[in-house]
Amino acid sequence: MAVKSKSPTAKLALAILVFIAIFPIFWVFLNSFKQLVDIVSTTPKLFFTPTLDNYIYVLGRDNVQHGLINSVVIAGASVLIGAVLGIPAAYAVARYPNRFSDDIQFFVLSLRFLPPVAVAIPLIAIWLDLGLYDSRTALIITYTLLTMSTIIWLAIPAFTRVPREVEEAAIVDGYGAYAVFFKVALPIAAKSLTGAVIFSFILVWNEFLIALMLTTSDAKTLPIIASEFTLLGRNVPWGILNASVIVLSLPPLIFVGVMSGFINSALKKKD
Amino acid sequence: MAAIVCNEITKRYGNHQVVHAFNLAVRENEFVVFLGPSGCGKSTILRMLAGLEEISDGELSIAGKVVNDLPPRDRDIAMVFQNYALYPHMSVFDNIAFGLKRLKVAKSEIEQRVNDVASMLGLEPYLGRKPAALSGGQQQRVAIARAMIKTPAVFLFDEPLSNLDAKLRNHMRVEIARLHQSLRTTTVYVTHDQLEAMTLADRIVLLKDGRIEQLGTPKEIYENPRSKFVASFIGTPSMNFIDMVVSSDGASFVLTNAATRLRVSKERYRLQDGQTVIVGIRPAHLVPASDGNDGNIIAGVVDLIEYLGNEALVNFELGGVEIGALLDSNACPQRKQPCRLTVDERHIHIFDRESELTLIRSLS
Repeated sequence: MAVKSKSPTAKLALAILVFIAIFPIFWVFLNSFKQLVDIVSTTPKLFFTPTLDNYIYVLGRDNVQHGLINSVVIAGASVLIGAVLGIPAAYAVARYPNRFSDDIQFFVLSLRFLPPVAVAIPLIAIWLDLGLYDSRTALIITYTLLTMSTIIWLAIPAFTRVPREVEEAAIVDGYGAYAVFFKVALPIAAKSLTGAVIFSFILVWNEFLIALMLTTSDAKTLPIIASEFTLLGRNVPWGILNASVIVLSLPPLIFVGVMSGFINSALKKKD
Repeated sequence: MAAIVCNEITKRYGNHQVVHAFNLAVRENEFVVFLGPSGCGKSTILRMLAGLEEISDGELSIAGKVVNDLPPRDRDIAMVFQNYALYPHMSVFDNIAFGLKRLKVAKSEIEQRVNDVASMLGLEPYLGRKPAALSGGQQQRVAIARAMIKTPAVFLFDEPLSNLDAKLRNHMRVEIARLHQSLRTTTVYVTHDQLEAMTLADRIVLLKDGRIEQLGTPKEIYENPRSKFVASFIGTPSMNFIDMVVSSDGASFVLTNAATRLRVSKERYRLQDGQTVIVGIRPAHLVPASDGNDGNIIAGVVDLIEYLGNEALVNFELGGVEIGALLDSNACPQRKQPCRLTVDERHIHIFDRESELTLIRSLS
């Protein structure tokens, strides 16, 4: 699959790029185990006495635990709903084109045109009126708009690439439209669809602006909580910040791992 | 086993009509080939037979039952697609068994039947593999196995060999012919390759622009083409066409152009004095003329020889048209040598200049 190059210059260039990409994350990871004095020392320290204090502080705080649960529930639910509604919608647009197909696709994309603030302000009013402001439900519904439009937009080409004849073969084999979707189109497109789902998860997991405006306490997500650590006072608590960055980054990584593992096993099962 | 009757079948896309009142009765056990250039509607008709395309007008019945509004599964058909259309995420075994699984056939019976079909087509070693790990010929064999396992009343083939290389195509063509000999399932086969049509078909339906141009056995179509289109489409190397003018001379017609004169009988052809016609002669029907022979001579100076083995295609110019003649490669003239050939009247086809239809009395 991957292009293999034996040229040493290419390898070196690649190594430098990887280093540039990985090193900040690695440094954040190291710092999260350091005392504040080790972090703010003028010479960067690669060797130090590690401490778990930062993690104990971050994970011990009620609002972090609450935010973590909020984030997992909200991102998980909105991705799930977005996928359950968006994937069949994308299939319908890809496979049963009609004179509105192009408009539907444009509309779906246009949902992402507006800056989040422009969307958030009217939503504040709507959720306040409905009595759902600062609730997980409100955030799940709002995020579902994001996940669904992203998933539809990315899934349409995935389904278009499924050869029509393969689906017709299944129809001749006697299967109805729903069976063709579940047993043929979905498994064939699964790889690309996983990418779409993961992408939409990361999108809402990291979402900040809308969450900031639609929550005040109960439904705060982890990015909002993490940002509040910077407001703790004049002494920036670098260790705690680094630890919270790691805590924030782990769930998407786990999610990506689980999803791609699931896909690989599903595809390799019968080899 | 079933007969298929197409009665005035029509296909329209909006205002654009692609199939015009198609009539055909396919007999039980018959192997019918739809032949024609791309865009002639042959695949569309096949897809209407399969139920993948709606029939705009007319009536289609399979085994005596009108199936216009039935989905593919209720038509008792199986189809083989041009690009195989295997399920890429399933093993060869599951590909073949997929149709049976829907019918809730017992697992042991599925296994039995898949193994039977696989052994018939030499697929046993590959049952566990994914389609992507097979060659084109093997993939097409899996597609045929998938169609066979349902023991359908009708087989539909949509250009099944056109994605294979030439050698494999010949091999698979023989396999399909053999399969039909042993199964005797009614078959409709679409192709644009006249050689496939000639070798496989009981009857050929030659299509042009959504209409039947000619219907008949390969022999009938080869020997008695109804139009210039049929004559040019069937047979390799393709027929020579020469524009000529008719004049009447006693009991015969004389056809002339700047370079040659042909004399044909009035009983066989329906011609008029002064009419311009297209004369068609197959390269294989041009034979060396003996010295004393002065009738129906076609002569020229050889400008190109295509050596084909036993035979050679000798090309020369005759009054502005390039003529090809298929001659014995051991006894043919050399390049730049004169070449003097003759043709038997039985092998002279004459077509009307305007309608391009044949002017042989027994056919028109």
